[in-house]
Amino acid sequence: MKQDDIQGAVVFFLFGAITAILSLQMPIGSLRAAGSGLFPLGLGVLLMVLSSAVIVKAFWPAVEEKKEDICAQEEPVSALQVVAYLAIIVATTMLWGTLGYTIVSFLIMLGLLRILGVKQWSLNLTVSLLTAAGSYALFVYALRIPLPKGFLGI
Amino acid sequence: MLESLQHLATGFGVAMTLQNLFYCLVGTIVGTLVGVLPGLGPIAGIALLIPVTFGLNATSAIIMLAGIYYGAMYGGSTTSILLNVPGETASVITCIDGYRMAQKGQAGKALALCAIGSFVAATFGIFGLAFLAPPLAEAALAFGPPEYFSLMVAAFVVLSNVTGGSFLKSLIMALVGLIIGTIGLDPVTGEGRFAFDSPSLLGGIEFVAVAIGVFGLGEVLTNAGQPAHLLEQKVIFPRLSELYPSLQDLKRSILAMLRGTGIGFGFGLIPGPAPVLATYASYMVERNISSHPEEFGKGAMEGVAGPESANNSACQAAFIPLFSLGIPFAPPTAVLLGALLIHGVTPGPLMITDHPELFWGVIASMYIGNFFLLLLNLPFVAAFASILLIPKKVLLPLVTLFCLIGMYSVNNSMFDVWMMILFGALGFFLRKWAYEGAPLLLALVLGPKMEVAFRQSLMISHGSFDVFINRPISLAFLAATLLFLLIPLALSVRKRLRSALAS
Repeated sequence: MKQDDIQGAVVFFLFGAITAILSLQMPIGSLRAAGSGLFPLGLGVLLMVLSSAVIVKAFWPAVEEKKEDICAQEEPVSALQVVAYLAIIVATTMLWGTLGYTIVSFLIMLGLLRILGVKQWSLNLTVSLLTAAGSYALFVYALRIPLPKGFLGI
Repeated sequence: MLESLQHLATGFGVAMTLQNLFYCLVGTIVGTLVGVLPGLGPIAGIALLIPVTFGLNATSAIIMLAGIYYGAMYGGSTTSILLNVPGETASVITCIDGYRMAQKGQAGKALALCAIGSFVAATFGIFGLAFLAPPLAEAALAFGPPEYFSLMVAAFVVLSNVTGGSFLKSLIMALVGLIIGTIGLDPVTGEGRFAFDSPSLLGGIEFVAVAIGVFGLGEVLTNAGQPAHLLEQKVIFPRLSELYPSLQDLKRSILAMLRGTGIGFGFGLIPGPAPVLATYASYMVERNISSHPEEFGKGAMEGVAGPESANNSACQAAFIPLFSLGIPFAPPTAVLLGALLIHGVTPGPLMITDHPELFWGVIASMYIGNFFLLLLNLPFVAAFASILLIPKKVLLPLVTLFCLIGMYSVNNSMFDVWMMILFGALGFFLRKWAYEGAPLLLALVLGPKMEVAFRQSLMISHGSFDVFINRPISLAFLAATLLFLLIPLALSVRKRLRSALAS
């Protein structure tokens, strides 16, 4: 928890610092006639201050808090599985322009189902094919959304 | 009062056209589905459906999107009762007694109480909306830039204070949202900011990308990393014969429903995740005043009826600040604000006079929508619940695909899709680091308005900050903000002192 707090706060501190530095390259103006950089500069500095407070707080001795469990408990998340899941999304999205939406939707389903543990290829292929065909019918035919077409024209 | 009733009657005329009835029905059905599906809340649900409304007029579009909002609230409780997994955060409290009722074989009764409670809340909520929004809008005509700026500051601070997570972290999220909101053209001078010569960035970050990314894809990524056994759930299915509570059950729950309605309406008027807070408050009230408090936590029907009414009532009341002030106090209404702007309608004090058919039509449609929920959901609850039979490992890729298509179809832009993926990754980390996404989204939507109000105020006062405290309404908002800042600080100091004294 403490490590998560520090990680997050450092990221937001850096985000605030970058914002402040970039804002300084814009016209700051005066309070009477604020330039385009004044508002983001103030926000960036404030973000740095608040993120620093979170970091300081993370090292502060915490008061124990008793929490009531109401619903089904959440279990720890597998970072590797999340990275793999995201990688499939990124890789297939890069192919949208070339392969077109229909083939990409098939590939994305195939990859994501596999990562989430659908090991049976027949089931995986069937669900992916049905989804690609179904979403094409729904979005392209029924809703007339112009999704990117690839070299096959679909 | 009579005038409001006449307008309301006109609103029913608008809402009851065949087209609007159809979109209201679609909205409530989609909303119920969105609520039932764990991992897809009302925010992502509304954002995903915005492109579908492009071909509609603004009234039909908002009727449908509003239907998704309150339909999701109802759907969320279905999973709480049948699965002990809340479909969205406002249904967390329903898990306590709703799931216990299901375990005792009373799932149908619990679901029926939810639907009836929601309908009772809608009946009272519609009058509250009709009578409160117009005078508030009239009062808001006196607001100038300093008042709007102070109100938005108050909204962020109060929202950050009540989101449930760390106050400091919520404020950080609001700041991040405000910074992201500055990307693109400066709203006053028209200069490009943080655009790095990219035409796409000059247009700013599309709020739908942030909404779908943080609340849709971010949730999917968190779920995708869960162990395999959690990706499959067991559902308790209700029997149709159980779906109708007895007269005695209704007698026992009606007061809880009415109290929940009042509590929910009050919470809907203040900034924050109103339905979540309202359900907690209603549950606490019911438990404290009950003559049989020992039943709470073991399947007390007041513990379901009260919070569910509060939930629905808060949703309706949340439309008051959106429509009359033009300022959403909660993330789902922030997405609705975005949808209104896309359809060329600027909510605010003049909306009621400029777009009466939309304002009164949407209010009336909420009542009709709740009637649809009551009519449809009771007989078809098993059908909705059967969606939960689709394993999560199939559902998550499907939701991912919908997120990608939904995002692309907003502007037919791959840049927006990439932004959505980026914000999806951010959403995952926000959950990991225990940051709330709600202040970020609200700040992103309100950021440009807030900056303009801030800069205009300083122009009016020739650079003096006195303008924010010399005007009574602005001062009142800032005083309330200060109070909300000081209360948690004082409580924290007291807690630390007590703990130091005890040890």
